[in-house]
Amino acid sequence: MSPTILLRDIDEPGLATLDVYERRGGYSSLRKALAMVPDAIVAEIDASGLRGRGGAGFPAGRKSAFLPKGDMDKYLVCNADESEPGTFKDRELMQKCPHMLIEGIVIAARGAGISRAFIYIRGEYEAQARILDAALAEARGAGYIGERILGSDFSLDVVLHRGAGAYICGEETGLLDSLEGKRGNPRLKPPFPALQGLYQGPTLINNVETLMTMPHIIEIGGAEYAKLGAPNSAGTKVVSVSGHVQRPGNYEVELGTPSREIIFDLAGGPPPGRRVKLWFPGGSSSPVLTEADLDIPYDFDSLAKAGTMLGSGAIIVVDDSTPVLDVALKVAKFYRHESCGKCTPCREGTNWTVRMLERIETGEATPMDLDIMASVQERIIGNCLCVLGDAMAMPISSMISKFREELEAHMLSRQLADVAA
Amino acid sequence: MPRPQSNTITFSIDGREVQAPENMMLADAAKLGDIEIPVFCYEPKLGQPVGACRMCLVEIEGIPKLQTACSTAVKDGMVVHTRSERAVEAQRGVVEFLLINHPLDCPVCDKGGECPLQDITFGWGAGRSRFIEPKRHFRKPLELSPLIAIDRERCILCYRCVRFAQEISEDYQLILLERGGHSFVGTFDGHPYVAPFSGNIIELCPVGALTSRPYRFRARPWEIEGSGTVCTLCPAQCNVDLTVRDERVLRVLARQNDEVDDGWLCDKGRFAYQSVHVDERVTAPLIRDGGELREVSWERALSEAAGGLRRAGSKVAALAGGGATNEEGLLLARLVRDVLGSPDVDSRPTGAVALDDWRALAAPALAAKVSDLEFAHAVLVLDCEPLDDAPIIELRIRKGVRRQGVSLLLATDRPSALDPSARASLRFAPGRGAEFAGALAAAVRGGDVDAAAAGVSAEEVAALASVLRDAGEEVVILYGERLLDGGAGALLDLADALGLASCAGAGLIGIPEFANGRGLREAGAAAGVGPGLGEVAGGRHTSGIGAGLRGGELTALYLLGVDPFVDLPDRAGWEAALEHATTVIAHAGFLSDGLREHATVVFPAEAYPEKEGTVTHPDGRIQRLRPAIARQGEVRATWSILADLCRALGSDTAIATGAAASAALFEAVPMYSGLTLEELAGRGVRWVEREQATALPRPTAVPAPAPPRPAPASAGRSLVLGSYRSLWSAPEVAASPALAFLHPPQRVEISPHDARALDRGEGEEVLAVDESGAAVRAVVAVRDAVPAGRAILLAGLANDGANVLTGGSVELRDPPPPPEPEPAAEAVGEEIEEALV
Amino acid sequence: MSGVRRYKHGSRVPGWDSAADLDKAPATIPDPALVEVPVELREQIEAAMARYPERHSAALPALRAAQDRYGWCSPEAIEQVACVMRVTPAYLASVASFYDMFELAPAGRHSVYVCTNITCSLRGADELFAAIEDAVGDDPEIGVRGFECLGACDIAPMVSVDQVYYGPLELADAARLVEDLRAGREPIPELALALRPSADPGAASA
Ligand SMILES: Cc1cc2nc3c(=O)[nH]c(=O)nc-3n(C[C@H](O)[C@H](O)[C@H](O)COP(=O)(O)O)c2cc1C
Ligand code: SF4
Ligand code: FES
Repeated sequence: MSPTILLRDIDEPGLATLDVYERRGGYSSLRKALAMVPDAIVAEIDASGLRGRGGAGFPAGRKSAFLPKGDMDKYLVCNADESEPGTFKDRELMQKCPHMLIEGIVIAARGAGISRAFIYIRGEYEAQARILDAALAEARGAGYIGERILGSDFSLDVVLHRGAGAYICGEETGLLDSLEGKRGNPRLKPPFPALQGLYQGPTLINNVETLMTMPHIIEIGGAEYAKLGAPNSAGTKVVSVSGHVQRPGNYEVELGTPSREIIFDLAGGPPPGRRVKLWFPGGSSSPVLTEADLDIPYDFDSLAKAGTMLGSGAIIVVDDSTPVLDVALKVAKFYRHESCGKCTPCREGTNWTVRMLERIETGEATPMDLDIMASVQERIIGNCLCVLGDAMAMPISSMISKFREELEAHMLSRQLADVAA
Repeated sequence: MPRPQSNTITFSIDGREVQAPENMMLADAAKLGDIEIPVFCYEPKLGQPVGACRMCLVEIEGIPKLQTACSTAVKDGMVVHTRSERAVEAQRGVVEFLLINHPLDCPVCDKGGECPLQDITFGWGAGRSRFIEPKRHFRKPLELSPLIAIDRERCILCYRCVRFAQEISEDYQLILLERGGHSFVGTFDGHPYVAPFSGNIIELCPVGALTSRPYRFRARPWEIEGSGTVCTLCPAQCNVDLTVRDERVLRVLARQNDEVDDGWLCDKGRFAYQSVHVDERVTAPLIRDGGELREVSWERALSEAAGGLRRAGSKVAALAGGGATNEEGLLLARLVRDVLGSPDVDSRPTGAVALDDWRALAAPALAAKVSDLEFAHAVLVLDCEPLDDAPIIELRIRKGVRRQGVSLLLATDRPSALDPSARASLRFAPGRGAEFAGALAAAVRGGDVDAAAAGVSAEEVAALASVLRDAGEEVVILYGERLLDGGAGALLDLADALGLASCAGAGLIGIPEFANGRGLREAGAAAGVGPGLGEVAGGRHTSGIGAGLRGGELTALYLLGVDPFVDLPDRAGWEAALEHATTVIAHAGFLSDGLREHATVVFPAEAYPEKEGTVTHPDGRIQRLRPAIARQGEVRATWSILADLCRALGSDTAIATGAAASAALFEAVPMYSGLTLEELAGRGVRWVEREQATALPRPTAVPAPAPPRPAPASAGRSLVLGSYRSLWSAPEVAASPALAFLHPPQRVEISPHDARALDRGEGEEVLAVDESGAAVRAVVAVRDAVPAGRAILLAGLANDGANVLTGGSVELRDPPPPPEPEPAAEAVGEEIEEALV
Repeated sequence: MSGVRRYKHGSRVPGWDSAADLDKAPATIPDPALVEVPVELREQIEAAMARYPERHSAALPALRAAQDRYGWCSPEAIEQVACVMRVTPAYLASVASFYDMFELAPAGRHSVYVCTNITCSLRGADELFAAIEDAVGDDPEIGVRGFECLGACDIAPMVSVDQVYYGPLELADAARLVEDLRAGREPIPELALALRPSADPGAASA
């Protein structure tokens, strides 16, 4: 059994209140952190090997160390936009244990010498926003945030900011523009947010789960945490499993757990009589895997080696009852809808891809169109302002290459049907 | 503030070693090696690159992903490939993507032939598209404003136009709506994009999505010629490139001069060219005959004028303004002073300024230049509204604030469009700029401040002074020359208190009321001022000239580009003055009712595209005008008319060409000496930076601040009167069909407080009546930013201008029933429609 | 304005085809002397501006406050927000139209978002969406929109009714949901996400 850190007792009644959280030992890591010098906090996080849980998997300690030292307006932004299809872990974590997030935020801010933090939560999460707001008020009242926290010389203001429905605001620079009250268009990088982010100031951006892991790391120490998980993939991960499984939900596993265990043992696998046809290991942006890949260990490097990625840690299972074309269309339409429109390859490429897929669906395409579609994906990948374009192009490419026969068969059958008619 | 400067580095691009300034963007640096990298969204004028279109992707050794050349700074030793297989594949990809939804309707597109999309498709595209689904279609073209049409099918969403509205003009009216592939350029709730600088987006658009409605389908690029000159519709004197076909100006484009205009134009400059070719324009000489003006031959008009002048002799006075050139000013002053023996020449609309004041203000040590506004620590805008008085300067100020963090301070007598950008704003009493400057000088020195005469509190002045002191030593004061009505002493004292003369990058820039006010003065066409700010005997200033005419000491008036009924205060006084005059000679392009009634001889004035000569920018830059088209109709060169009159009156100037007139100017004005027209070339020369600047005579005594005049006060239900001239109150605007909608009707701006107290509402028609009983019809405009107790009216209007009023305050009364509706109104409307089709 | 066109998917059909109305005045920053803003709304917007180092950051909360008050971001509502925030209405329109949750046309009292993204559609969301649309018919009080992944694939197929999550729904729940809404009851209460325990074996308190 893997250790449970984030989801442990998460259904305990009242855990969202300060009382119960404190009773369970909550905020003791914060006390500990306040007694440490900031660099030591960052050093512990660095030693833990914790990699970002938002999608890119960047080492959390290193990111924090990028921020310039010294007295200036620096910001921490907690990315709670959680909009990657298939992902719903941050929702459950924030809803049930908001104080752990607040504690993580204060620890991370203290480490990087930050005095102003924002939680950017997607607008649709209204219930979670209310819960967080209440928790922030409690924490403020108890002196865990605000001026001179717990009597120390450290102050931190935390503001909850609600989005309004745009996937691109999960991309860190799009998020910053959105938080500045603009359209959520991604920015050119460099400059990276660590040097020039929110209001042009150095900004540390971390995912909810990343930040929620920090109290535990401070509690047990970075080296101890690093013992969990797989090489280069330390710790546990909350995985959202959905689609054609019998027990969809969030499961916390040690990184490196075989994927089959997650999909079958925990989530119950596809309904009786059905087989796994394809699965997204890291949200809809990850290239798809097939039944043959079920034994890949679920960690950053193993999935990268398999040509895909862990992403946000969301497994979507599709069984053999569903045509791959339906999946491809849903994916492409999603990214077309969510493309911010700023850069050409993403804006036009997502649209063109949908139009081609629609043509395949209606039987007006030939196998040559699959080649054009594959080449269009090639022209998107790596050429966009942010990686939203790639996030469509990579899974679509993978579906074309892994399910070419099925797609060609579909075209043929539509054409035969037309001829018959 | 530090100005950009950098080392030279060497990098390699497509196998060539190229030297470039370090940190220049690769897209620009490539050009230094004669390599073109295609761009759409990149336009350095718009500020930081956005990297949106992805057209400029290139390969840089050592970086795994392709990089956008528009946003990558060159570094020493960088190795760049713009034509590698990967780069070419990406570039073709972007062109293909862009053309997916582009209609390819080049044969019917105004941009065809000068279109970056066409050129880049040809140069970097694959030559075919694999996109076979139907393209999207929208209604097109649509009006975006009366001036601009939008074709959304053609738009490639490069962001240039919306960035202009956000980061350059900062009007935030033009926006992107919706998201992703649905994004489109538009405005809020269908409001038109009407803003002072809107036309620049036409030039910025790299495709045919934004086009000029007046220019639509007027010409194809291969039929036209470009011709560079200088716009003289206001003191900003932007450099322009006129598009000409068959001796007609069809379009005005910016001709970028970073020291003048940064490559932008205001809409007046961009569209008022239409007034060159309208029927109302006077294009033949007229004389008064039986009470009516009628067309006559040049010989007749010249002899009539010469006769009138001869009869008046030393009782002639002259006023110069409008777009009159330096050469014209010189010749006018010669005609009046040397030939006719009258000292009375002026080129300011109001009171006297002493010669010593002019000399002190012109001192090269105090001269700031336009680009200093961008890099100063602080800019103090004093008694002027850049947007109305010299619009392009406003953009420069915004740029400095936005990009360099310049501290902007505003001290004016009415709300300013720059208020939101200012670190501090303060409103003094109308016409009390000099008093305010005096109080500020005292505050900067840390002395006792009495600001009552300026109508502000000592605390306000002290607060502004402290912001100013804390900002840093490089301070540029941009002042309106109207402030000099209260003497230059206070302003000079302020400059002294701030130590402007001893700090490079600090100084003064004065905005004259007339476009070439500075040049006319330096050419000697100002009261008590000889060429080169030299000594001359006496001379009435403008209001003295009016009085002299009314009193009979003067009998003839020569008007060079000035219409007293529109341009000068005290309209009734001028009406009486012209009534008394026996001879009124006017160079005019358009006749106001007043001129039509009182002029005895009218010479058709040249429009600036027809003119040659020089003008002097408020920052001392002498710029050259070059004729772009033949003079329309019977119009003759103004210098030649003045030379002809001199000859007819017995003094041959020996000036037979425009170039000779310029040579005479360079000879007469010591600071200009040695200049040649060639040297002025396309960019002009700032005389204050030349060696010959030392020829500027020093003031004989340091001008002392004049005693403060008491602040005007309101009593009872009356409001203190303030007035200003809008950017759009110009005959060229009224006469240009496309722009006429901007020519403002009279309105009176009052504060919400007064609106309540006087029970007047927005849009209500009132009569503004002053103490003397003079009255102007106006529409009430309630504005939050107007200080209580004020009424602000528009000057510079043909009939109902603020110059009808002479008192210091007004009451708002109910208007008499409206006069008979003018039958002409509708016809004008139709004409506009037609011109816009 | 009322007949705003939407794609089946839920997003607005943009106004590409509309010209500017040349009879209107340009929309600059509204003059406080001319725009009346309800006190409560003004206070909400000012409080939002005070929370951030830069007032523009209040754009989303301010627009949301206006939408809550008026039911949608009407041009008048946007003008009021613009007036308090000292920005042009265009600035706010540009922002509002970027985000899916702002209503730029009159909307009904209730909003129903039906997730039609991958996971939900694997579990019948497209049929559910059609069923709910059917049940609503042309009732202007209930706005039904297909929506991208709402972050609740564990309860697929799911809906968000007036910002409260419910799922998993059966086709038959469609009619009941609409009935409940019309009757002023909490819809399908037993399907509320808030009631759902975590799937992880370690979640339940020992
Ligand atoms: C299109 C796109 C959407 C993203 N959405 C999210 C998101 O919803 N939540 C999140 O935490 N990170 C998201 N990310 C990743 C963020 O950009 C960023 O890497 C992350 O917030 C960093 O936090 P971490 O280092 O703790 O993972 C997204 C990235 C992209 C390109
Ligand atoms: S209208 Fe022209 S300038 Fe504006 S986004 Fe479209 S292509 Fe660019
Ligand atoms: S020119 Fe470089 S991205 Fe547009």
